[in-house]
Amino acid sequence: MNNEIGSDKNSAEIIHHHLTKRFLKVLMMNGEIFQLFIDIIRSTFSRPFYFNRLVEQIYHLGRGSLSITIVIGLTMGLVMTLNFGYGLAKFGGTLYVPAVVSLSLAREMAPLFTSLLVAGRVGSGIAAEIGAMNVTQQVDAIRALGTSPIRVLVVPRFWALVISLPLLSSLSFAVGIIGGLIVCKNEFDITTGFYLSKVFSTVKFHDYMSGLVKSAVFGGIITLIGCYRGLVTRDGTKGVGQSTTWVVVTSSIWILITDFFISKIFLMIWN
Amino acid sequence: MEILRLENIHKNFGVHHVHKGVSFALNKGESIGLLGGSGTGKSVLLRSIIGLERIDSGNILFHNERIDHLTEDQLKDFRIKISYSFQSGALFDSINVFENIAYPLREHTKLTEHEISIKIKDMLKLIDLEGKEHLMPSDLSGGMQKRVGMARAMILDPEIVLYDEPTAGLDPQNTLNVVSIMQQLKARGLSSIFVTHDIPSALSLCDRILILHQGKIIFNDSPLQFQFSSDPEVKKFFIS
Repeated sequence: MNNEIGSDKNSAEIIHHHLTKRFLKVLMMNGEIFQLFIDIIRSTFSRPFYFNRLVEQIYHLGRGSLSITIVIGLTMGLVMTLNFGYGLAKFGGTLYVPAVVSLSLAREMAPLFTSLLVAGRVGSGIAAEIGAMNVTQQVDAIRALGTSPIRVLVVPRFWALVISLPLLSSLSFAVGIIGGLIVCKNEFDITTGFYLSKVFSTVKFHDYMSGLVKSAVFGGIITLIGCYRGLVTRDGTKGVGQSTTWVVVTSSIWILITDFFISKIFLMIWN
Repeated sequence: MEILRLENIHKNFGVHHVHKGVSFALNKGESIGLLGGSGTGKSVLLRSIIGLERIDSGNILFHNERIDHLTEDQLKDFRIKISYSFQSGALFDSINVFENIAYPLREHTKLTEHEISIKIKDMLKLIDLEGKEHLMPSDLSGGMQKRVGMARAMILDPEIVLYDEPTAGLDPQNTLNVVSIMQQLKARGLSSIFVTHDIPSALSLCDRILILHQGKIIFNDSPLQFQFSSDPEVKKFFIS
């Protein structure tokens, strides 16, 4: 009996120790990510700033995500309109479909889905690229040659995605609206003029802003997490693989959490 | 004239004590061969000198100025004067040979494209890779990659070069090529610390041999004294 109690106590201590260690590790990692963010801001406003690399990254990260953005935007528009249309038709509310679809796309769906897909495509790419550079000592070489990996690798990627993700989300929104129009015309006999007038009268400036701000913040989150993980990658190719998976999962979670808070802030300000 | 001094360097990785009070000095124009068994912390010592690793205690002085406590930004100027040649070359794999060697010039000088091109051609001639400037690192052999890495480390005319096993894994011909480049650079008055397991190369190139053993420098003398040392540890090392 006493042995069992002693064994339970030991197990509890081991679990407690394990949880404390894990909590401290997560806390430390978040501190390091925050420190990286501070370094990015500091490096942005001091020389040298690699403008050419920024343009190169906007082209590489932004343009490379164009096709996936168009596909996701169109699919969202088509599917949402179809579901809302048949759902609202039961209550005679088909005419509200353009308003509901455009508002959902502008505020939530376009920035959120585009960002999640970009997190998968670009976030993992950043982690893999910087991680591979790290394990092959290229990051050390950047430092040894008197330059900063944060300035050379992180800052251009950070601002490139902060700039290009809102543009991609806008594109996704625009394509989604077209998708909605196709379904509205063919399935619910809504005219193009009525559809567009409802879209423009429903979606206000702050709705567009909400989507754009969210996308910019999500872009920052994706690169921050991708670059951080790339810079701490160890254990060769195995480590690189683990890093890419970790970045996709972690940045997706952070995007979803942040989405709630930004939505809340915008609703508080404009409602 | 002394240009670099390490005083009582201590470095731990967790419970593993890599350096337990390493001290030595490097004079201008001198080449030091740093020998020691695998895992004794030779590369860590080189990395500590340019701040890629932080030491736990001790002093590193460059021209009598402490550099071990400097921040990354402050170390920038010293990393131009003390360059590091990586064991693997550590070339940037997304740019070609020309751009790899030009990287330090573009970052730290205001040379024109024409001037950069001339400097790189000279350097390619020195490392015997003329006409290979458009190749990507993946198109080069291991020996070529090391030579390009050396060229990149050398392009800003540093005062000290830290060579991390530049002949490791090379065939005899490539080893001779690399040692010949190092000899030419030495003849130009460059100081260097040469971490290696390659004793013949170290004896042919270095003015002084240091042996790092169990975290301490156990031998610090001329190549001749190294060959005829009666110290059993040194003898054991030499014979092995």
